Amino acid sequence: MPRILPMPFLPIGSTLTFFVLLLCWPTNIQASDPFVKESDISLTQSVLHFVTWKADQPKVWDEAIGRFEKAHPHIQIKREIAPHSSTAYHDLLTQKLKNHDSSLDVFFMDVIWPAEFAEAGWARPLDDWFSPAQQERFLPGPIRAGTYRQHIYGVPSRIDSGMLYYRLDLLKKYGFQPPHTWEELVAQANTIIKREQASHPALRGYSGQFKQYEGLVCDMMEFILSNNGSLLNDNHSLSTLTNPQTLKAVEFVRDQMIQQLASPAVLTYEEPESLAIFVQGKSVFHRNWPYAWGLANDPRHSKIVGMVGVAPLPHFPNGRSISTLGGWLYGISAYSKHPKEAWTFIQFMTSSTMQKIFAVDAALAPSRPALYFNREVLQANPQYRDFLPVFQAATPRPQTPVYPIISHIWQRFFSRVLASSHSDILQEAQRADQQIHHFLTLARHNRS
Amino acid sequence: MVIPALLFVSVFTLYPTIRTFLLSFHQIFLALPSLGQPFVGLENYSLLFNDHVSQQAFLVTVGFVLLSTMAELILGLGIALVIHEPFKGRAGVRAAVLIPWAIPTVVASQLWRFIFNDQYGLANLIVFGNHISQYIPWLAFPQSAFLIIVLADVWKTSSFVGLLLLAGLQIIPEDLYDAARIDGASAWQRFRHVTLPLLKPAFLIALLFRTIDAFRVFDLVFVMTQGGPGDATQVIQFYGYKTFFTEGRIGYGSAISVSVFLMIVFLSLFYIRSIGSKLLAREQS
Repeated sequence: MPRILPMPFLPIGSTLTFFVLLLCWPTNIQASDPFVKESDISLTQSVLHFVTWKADQPKVWDEAIGRFEKAHPHIQIKREIAPHSSTAYHDLLTQKLKNHDSSLDVFFMDVIWPAEFAEAGWARPLDDWFSPAQQERFLPGPIRAGTYRQHIYGVPSRIDSGMLYYRLDLLKKYGFQPPHTWEELVAQANTIIKREQASHPALRGYSGQFKQYEGLVCDMMEFILSNNGSLLNDNHSLSTLTNPQTLKAVEFVRDQMIQQLASPAVLTYEEPESLAIFVQGKSVFHRNWPYAWGLANDPRHSKIVGMVGVAPLPHFPNGRSISTLGGWLYGISAYSKHPKEAWTFIQFMTSSTMQKIFAVDAALAPSRPALYFNREVLQANPQYRDFLPVFQAATPRPQTPVYPIISHIWQRFFSRVLASSHSDILQEAQRADQQIHHFLTLARHNRS
Repeated sequence: MVIPALLFVSVFTLYPTIRTFLLSFHQIFLALPSLGQPFVGLENYSLLFNDHVSQQAFLVTVGFVLLSTMAELILGLGIALVIHEPFKGRAGVRAAVLIPWAIPTVVASQLWRFIFNDQYGLANLIVFGNHISQYIPWLAFPQSAFLIIVLADVWKTSSFVGLLLLAGLQIIPEDLYDAARIDGASAWQRFRHVTLPLLKPAFLIALLFRTIDAFRVFDLVFVMTQGGPGDATQVIQFYGYKTFFTEGRIGYGSAISVSVFLMIVFLSLFYIRSIGSKLLAREQS
């Protein structure tokens, strides 16, 4: 047996320990925050940690937070930038929350998270401060999304719902009105592509979000429900992917949209990539959230300024237009040491004044219906006039604490089926149904 | 003198391992706290065994390990042979060869993701030139997405394997080559009968390291495809991450981690046995 050479334990051990301690030392980022005003530090100074993501329009957010700190000098906001992707943001938040981390006060919740956050005890109930009278001044969809078992856990920030964007100039050129059915959309797109082939060889018919992530569920739900199909049954006890209307819709997406009109590239697209295709003029139709309007008409990013139209999404014959409810709510961590200050901040950021500023300057659709009749808001966003009914009718995804688990099963099902033109949709649907049923049952046992 | 290091090892290695083992025997859903954290014995493992998704993840991982390790060993051998020969500027080449390995995996993954981008990727530019309408979305097809992940890993780690094999080459005494040359052996015969047999221990060590690392691949998949179209690039570690962190299924996620750990342990023991016995045989002869 080879003799084990004695290693110099002490120097190596202590060096490693030193580096570990160095890494674990709490990092102080106060020096780099431009909003710290030395003169305002008083005895009751509190610092709120606000987990947000890198803004599309950073100036608007910087100004908003600056306004708040000027109005409330004893509260300082320290922003922590989290990833853009909803899933990655979720994982970062839950990682801190499950460890009862008190260094996090205010965060955003995607409309699909309140059930999970409430059941796990991560989000603080806001019933003491957010009265039903106040709730009525917001759109009902997001309020419902933020409510779990008769308690409210979030204040709606901005609302999102899927819209159909299209090239106004191209549709006008060929005498088309925005399509009402998906078949119309396919026909119009094919005509336009064929006739534009000479001048625009790289033009595609459609661009959407079909990567294996949450956005895929949003996009697919719009197809499925607009064919009178469904994901779950009414009381959320069964998965209904094998429903013939559901299967038909999925087959349509695979065969007519992905493999033909859109190019399989959309299987790698989240929102930014799919929008980039549209604003570079390479797609006739595009599905995205309301924020895309601002970027599509911004000359710094877009080649199609002034040539963009927006309409409700098409549906299948005998169905109706379905738009997935998205958007975000402000939440307070259950482990926050400054809940009252956090509420003050949230109240400020969701006030009519601030929501108007976000709507006018950053094209973020407000969650207060009254603002849709405000002159300045409509001047900056004339399309909001037609959007309000769509927002009010937006369809939420199923509300359940096991949503992340079920969503993964849906994402897997859709992605596997769409990625290959020979996929056996029925078999995959049966498999997914079985797995989803298992978790729905567990969630029901949790309730009882 | 040994205590600080032992304490260090036990806190950062033993404790998490044992805790994960224990967690894998319970059913824990973070989002359903009222269900408690009941002890369920080996139920998580039987679930893992019968789950189609984990079976596919395991196959993807094994495929990745086999392909990448084979390619890296062959390329690494080539690299080692080249930088073993004396030539002008050899020091520069040796440094340059290490650059892929020195780049953080996350950065390299983004690099490769951009290379195979369907709109502005270098790969499309090289193959199709300016015919943008013919550009292929490489990462949108299950088979090509998988091969690209393998390619990115091979690019990154072949030089590391090359280094290990270079060390093995430098041990081979020059006299053996001189003797072979005198006996009239050609370059290929010298390579086949002198180099390869004496390189076996270094080969096995490189194989051991690469197999263990390839089993644990995660960053490449996380950055490039997030599990890829239809789970085509979902390796077992990524599946474990999604289950543990995103879904909050602590018990099942722990079972996945433990399975990967056990597989690596058994594989390592198997390799060390073969290396050990081979070295022993050489010492005796």
